Amino acid sequence: MSGVREVGEVSEMTVVDARTEHATVGRPPVEPSRYSLRHPRSRIAWVRPAIWAPFVLMVAVLALLWHWGAEKLPYLLPPLSDIGHSLSSDLGYYTGNAMVTLGEATAGLATGFAAAFVLAVLTSELPPLRRAVMPIAVVLNVTPLVAIAPALVVAFGFGPTPKLVIAALICFFPIFINVSAGLRSVPQQVLQVYRTIDASRAELLWHVRVPNALPYLFAALRIVFPLSIVGAVVAEMSAAGSARGLGTAISVASSMNQLPVVYASIAVLAVMGVLLLLAVTLVERRVLHWHDSAHD
Amino acid sequence: MTGTPALELRSVHRTYGFGPSATIALDDVGLTVPAGRFVSLIGPSGCGKSTLLRIAAGLEEPDHGEIRLHGVPPARACAAKMIGLVPQSPALLPWLSVLKNVTLPHRINKRAARRRERITGSGERTTNAPDMRQLLVKAGLGEAMDKLPAELSGGMRQRAAIVRAFGLRPDVLVMDEPFSALDEFTRESLQDQLLDLWDELKTTVLFVTHSVSEAVRLSDTVVVMAPRPGRIVDTIEIDLPRPRNDRLFAERRFHEYEDLVRDRLHSAWHREAA
Ligand SMILES: Nc1ncnc2c1ncn2[C@@H]1O[C@H](COP(=O)(O)OP(=O)(O)OP(=O)(O)O)[C@@H](O)[C@H]1O
Ligand SMILES: [Mg+2]
Repeated sequence: MSGVREVGEVSEMTVVDARTEHATVGRPPVEPSRYSLRHPRSRIAWVRPAIWAPFVLMVAVLALLWHWGAEKLPYLLPPLSDIGHSLSSDLGYYTGNAMVTLGEATAGLATGFAAAFVLAVLTSELPPLRRAVMPIAVVLNVTPLVAIAPALVVAFGFGPTPKLVIAALICFFPIFINVSAGLRSVPQQVLQVYRTIDASRAELLWHVRVPNALPYLFAALRIVFPLSIVGAVVAEMSAAGSARGLGTAISVASSMNQLPVVYASIAVLAVMGVLLLLAVTLVERRVLHWHDSAHD
Repeated sequence: MTGTPALELRSVHRTYGFGPSATIALDDVGLTVPAGRFVSLIGPSGCGKSTLLRIAAGLEEPDHGEIRLHGVPPARACAAKMIGLVPQSPALLPWLSVLKNVTLPHRINKRAARRRERITGSGERTTNAPDMRQLLVKAGLGEAMDKLPAELSGGMRQRAAIVRAFGLRPDVLVMDEPFSALDEFTRESLQDQLLDLWDELKTTVLFVTHSVSEAVRLSDTVVVMAPRPGRIVDTIEIDLPRPRNDRLFAERRFHEYEDLVRDRLHSAWHREAA
């Protein structure tokens, strides 16, 4: 049940992606509290049936459809009750494997982020380097990098390394491309103001370019946080001999035809993805309080 | 100090593009501005006003010609933070409050103060950084100090940009149509505030405008330019008393100056058409 609820939140949050580039439009003056129903973006709006009823109805319809499908196609869909039972009786198994996958994903994310950010700064400051790197980065960004997971397993073995590498690679290019764009999109007239007072490149970078790139960075992070889990899981599934992680749990369970375990693992992965997305969104609201994207 | 002009351009040329499609943006432009003068550049679109301003502010190099600000080339004037720029758009940083936006330039290029002392001789202008809060209050932004630029009106943002430039106590203040995006009413009140601030600091101003009455109202000298090639065709001294208040604008002398500038603009236009 909780897994399904979270899915609803994902669709609500993806709407946030529709961002405007510059914060030129004024915000309405501070009016009723966000804990008042009259506030246009009230935080307690969900007490109104008009807000939650459509969602609850949709969940009920989906559950019914699943139930009906499970009766017609028992080899595709296990009954929801079996999934719930598997989750509750083996909770330790799922959380243990989830922690392994989450660890790989976040370590890869951190590595990819650090590398991408540093390279983006370097290429924005050194035009020849940018001309060398950018075309390759654009091509690799649209290449399905998960496809090299089997090769990495051959190279690095069944340990956590290939998972970390895949997660890092997947995260690297969207962050690199977005941050590069953000560093370079400072309006010309702003640059002119700071050039007439002879701001150094470091001062310009720190006071102007990096803050200007933050909205672009968060746009990338919202894509890349859930993607890092995809990378880790795919790498786990490609390493047939690895012992732990939800990807391993899924491939072992499907080879033994344990459908409830497969779907329970998928549900746990979905929850993890949502939690990561939630974490980015919360941090974004704090950091980008000045930007339009933080206000919807 | 009175000997060296605040701004001096000698036979400045600037051409954009090559061959038959080249645009001569500035052709043999010379201009001397004594310290403390308010000088406006006026002329039809494309006559090189912005180009002249960018070259004077060291944002662009001329093809040839010489530029001196208080006797030093623009690059050295920038390094000494002697130039304040107000661009056409406010160009505020959207993530900083108004107060932080106007104080950020003080935290940048801190070695400028000593360079500037060496160039201008006395450090009297530079020693006490003006209280930015006080300057903001004077510009009517007292309430808005801690707001973000997105929460201000267009006129307030432009005022913040002017305060940011004045806060540097620049030896030369360059402004490129700073009021062109504002409505008539806001523009007039900003003109008054600009004159108030200028009265206090008595800095040299180079001001680009499209509006004849704005030029006459603000300036000591109006420089008329013409396009193709971009050049200076006339220099008109506006000999009206200061402070220039509302009563003055009702006077005949004021309108005579307006007519004179308009007349020179037209004759430049027709000479070109002929
Ligand atoms: N970066 C550039 N590249 C090519 N041509 C340019 C560039 N900047 C200016 N020009 C040309 O130089 C001429 C003068 O331009 P400039 O912007 O200085 O005019 P202006 O007097 O400021 O006009 P306006 O009143 O419309 O702002 C124009 O013909 C313009 O097309
Ligand atoms: Mg212009």
